[in-house]
Amino acid sequence: MQKLLLTIDKISTFVGQAFSWLIVALTLMISWEVFSRYVLDHPHSWAFDGMIMMYGTLFMMAGAYTLAKAGHVRGDVLYGFFEPRTQATIDLILYIVFFIPGVFALTYAGYYYAAESWAMNEHSTITADGPPIYPFKTMLPLAGAFLFVQGIVEIIRCVICIKNGAWPARIEDVEEVDVDKLKEMVHVKDDDIAKLDRFVVQEGSTK
Amino acid sequence: MKVKKELWFGFALMAIILATVVFFMPWGNFVDGHLSREDLGYLGLLMLALIVVAIMLGFPTAFTLMGMGVFFGWLAYRSVNPALANQQILDLMVQRAYSVMSNDVLIAIPLFVFMGYLVERANLIEKLFKSLHLSLARLPGALAVATIVTCAIFATATGIVGAVVTLMGLLALPAMLRAGYNIKLAAGSITAGGCLGILIPPSVLLIVYGATAGVSVVKLYAGAFFPGIMLAGLYVGYVILMAKWKPHLAPPLSESERQVPLPPLSQALSARGGNALAGLVGALRMPTLPKRQVATQLLVSLLPAISIAALLVVMYAAATAPTAAVDTTGLVQAGGSVAAESDSAAADSGLQEPPKEEGGLQEPPKDAADLKEPPAEAGSAASAAPSSAGMQAQTASAPDTPAPPAERAPVPAWYWIVFGVGMASLALVSWLMNWQRLEIFKMLLASFFPLAVMILAVLGSIVFGLATPTEAAAVGAFGGLLLAGVYRYIATKQSEGGPAVVKTLIDLGGIIKESSFLTAKTSAMVCWLFVGSSIFSASFALLGGQEIIERWVLSLGLSTVQFMMLSQFIIFILGWPLEWTEIIVIFMPIFIPLLAKFNVDPLFFGLLVALNLQTAFLSPPVAMAAFYLKGVSPKHVTLNQIFAGMMPFMGIQVIALALLYIWPAIGMWLPNVLYK
Repeated sequence: MQKLLLTIDKISTFVGQAFSWLIVALTLMISWEVFSRYVLDHPHSWAFDGMIMMYGTLFMMAGAYTLAKAGHVRGDVLYGFFEPRTQATIDLILYIVFFIPGVFALTYAGYYYAAESWAMNEHSTITADGPPIYPFKTMLPLAGAFLFVQGIVEIIRCVICIKNGAWPARIEDVEEVDVDKLKEMVHVKDDDIAKLDRFVVQEGSTK
Repeated sequence: MKVKKELWFGFALMAIILATVVFFMPWGNFVDGHLSREDLGYLGLLMLALIVVAIMLGFPTAFTLMGMGVFFGWLAYRSVNPALANQQILDLMVQRAYSVMSNDVLIAIPLFVFMGYLVERANLIEKLFKSLHLSLARLPGALAVATIVTCAIFATATGIVGAVVTLMGLLALPAMLRAGYNIKLAAGSITAGGCLGILIPPSVLLIVYGATAGVSVVKLYAGAFFPGIMLAGLYVGYVILMAKWKPHLAPPLSESERQVPLPPLSQALSARGGNALAGLVGALRMPTLPKRQVATQLLVSLLPAISIAALLVVMYAAATAPTAAVDTTGLVQAGGSVAAESDSAAADSGLQEPPKEEGGLQEPPKDAADLKEPPAEAGSAASAAPSSAGMQAQTASAPDTPAPPAERAPVPAWYWIVFGVGMASLALVSWLMNWQRLEIFKMLLASFFPLAVMILAVLGSIVFGLATPTEAAAVGAFGGLLLAGVYRYIATKQSEGGPAVVKTLIDLGGIIKESSFLTAKTSAMVCWLFVGSSIFSASFALLGGQEIIERWVLSLGLSTVQFMMLSQFIIFILGWPLEWTEIIVIFMPIFIPLLAKFNVDPLFFGLLVALNLQTAFLSPPVAMAAFYLKGVSPKHVTLNQIFAGMMPFMGIQVIALALLYIWPAIGMWLPNVLYK
């Protein structure tokens, strides 16, 4: 079971990470477009559409990846104080009540939305000869489907946690605040921090 | 089962919210199955109460909003036409999701986030902090002041609160503790400073607000600049006051800590005289010294002088340029000088013509058409009246203003004042530039100036309308990439020597990879929240919850001041349990429609909200800043000490909020000058 969970995690992660390279492409493309417009005086009519499509695809396809890494923002008022088992129970109920209907509706509606766009061979209307927009709209149900599958994995995780009383492991990933890496970056060691206690305690005693 | 105190508090709060709503809900009307408009509105309020409870339970907010929005939206449609409800809610949902996907404001978020991660990994914070604290060493509370300034600059460039607080906890906290600073003061300045990044533009918070409230992000950036600077200034002022008033809280640095080790060349030269400029100029003639090194040093020490001179030349060109100068003078001086400027410009063009007209009196209409920007009456007089009258009009206008013979406009008086100040500071800088200061200046040059220039370039191009926020963000991210590359290159070269290009490129690849993964996760987090909240607020509007709230607020008969205080107070309270993203995307759509009723500018409201939400980071129990700092501080620093240290800074935030409210010009001056 754990193996299956991790496999789906890996797929979500792989997809999300593959699409996250779009940010590099987006940066380079807009930088080039700015250069081309102001310096070479040669703007491209498709630049705006391209920008929007890259951005939309980037964040939609990273949704499942973010869920697999527990990266979606939570209101952490009480959650942190709960036992893992309580956390899992609440999550399980709310996944079934909110997540499954919501994401399913999004995927279902998105499927017909994209299908319609394909059927009429829709092109962007921002410029006269806009690029085709149906591949971009296809991202909506696609991202929804990945998210849905990842959501089912999270539900299974909750069930396992309720059974075992502890959260099953996730795959490690790069973190926003990786304390160890930051310590290495500014050359601070744990010993140094521990030594500082001298000053703290000293200060406390003199008062 | 043992239930903790905090849990009781939370559950009690939830129970109160639910009980209030359930009590006031007109249940009787729901039972008979026929929902009137009014009942739907109450259903909307029920939805709002449920969402607060669900968020407090800790489920990912984006999906809570999405699920609840879909369900209640379906109910709203069903009450009108049950047959169509399914199709309508699905359509609504997919339209809202797609509108977020193709939103041309939110697109700047991933780019700014990417820039932030790259700058963070460029690893210049250590140098930045060191150079700033050396250059500020004479101030009371120097280390704390340097901490706040470093935080403000670094947090502005990166916008990642967690990373900034952690890094400063690793760098500044040990330095301050060793220097005998009070723990609370040290912790407070780190946490408060680290949060400045969400207010000072370019910040993601303002983009999110702009996208939610439909306010131009450009104006928000222009408006938030001075309040951000003001808040940082108030922090610094507070620290200096405390250090003066109670020196034991922040003892001054010892003489040895203020010194910078001099490189051998400077050391040799410093024996011969204190002033670095004179010493270096003298050294150029000495054959024993390496000439190239001396020349480089001289160039570096002359940089302030060169930049001041360049600035003066540019300003001279701008101030005396025939007509283009109107824009820039308008920024510096009030409208009066603008009028004078265009007057003299008209006189100039009038003066150019007479010699021509002597030869060809028969073509005054053409001459009048040649005038690009003269007052309209001059042109019409020239064409309608006989040509001699036209000439009279033109020559009559000439003696009014003493126009110079050249085509350049006269040098305005303010320029000479600026020129004098510039020259004086130039002399002062050259005179004060001793060997110690030269070293510090070199350190600043390597850390402070690149970052400051990058931020100002990004911000300036947005605010002055040269680029859209998206373009500026992309170029900023590209700049961050270059910055990371250059700093890594220098670091590898120093540590290993020899050719470091290959290693730097490999390093840089790793940095880009990590940064783009993190960017994807952060933007997915924010933008999916937007997807959820736009579905949610569409349902809320559909149910008519907004109308009920509006009617209720208007029935209270509040004055504008009372309304503003109430709304800011509510946002302040919401900041305790919730994060800023949730507050903005869920609650701003409720507040924004009310603003028009009270004649409040949504732009001004946004500035107040941005300032107010600073407190959301510092208020327990969700004060992320405190937990990040606790994670890297020595064992005996308690969380309570950190919280206690943050309290005065929260007080300052409230004062700043009051100041901004009393003098709205602090925020509104720049957008008004630039965009009206």
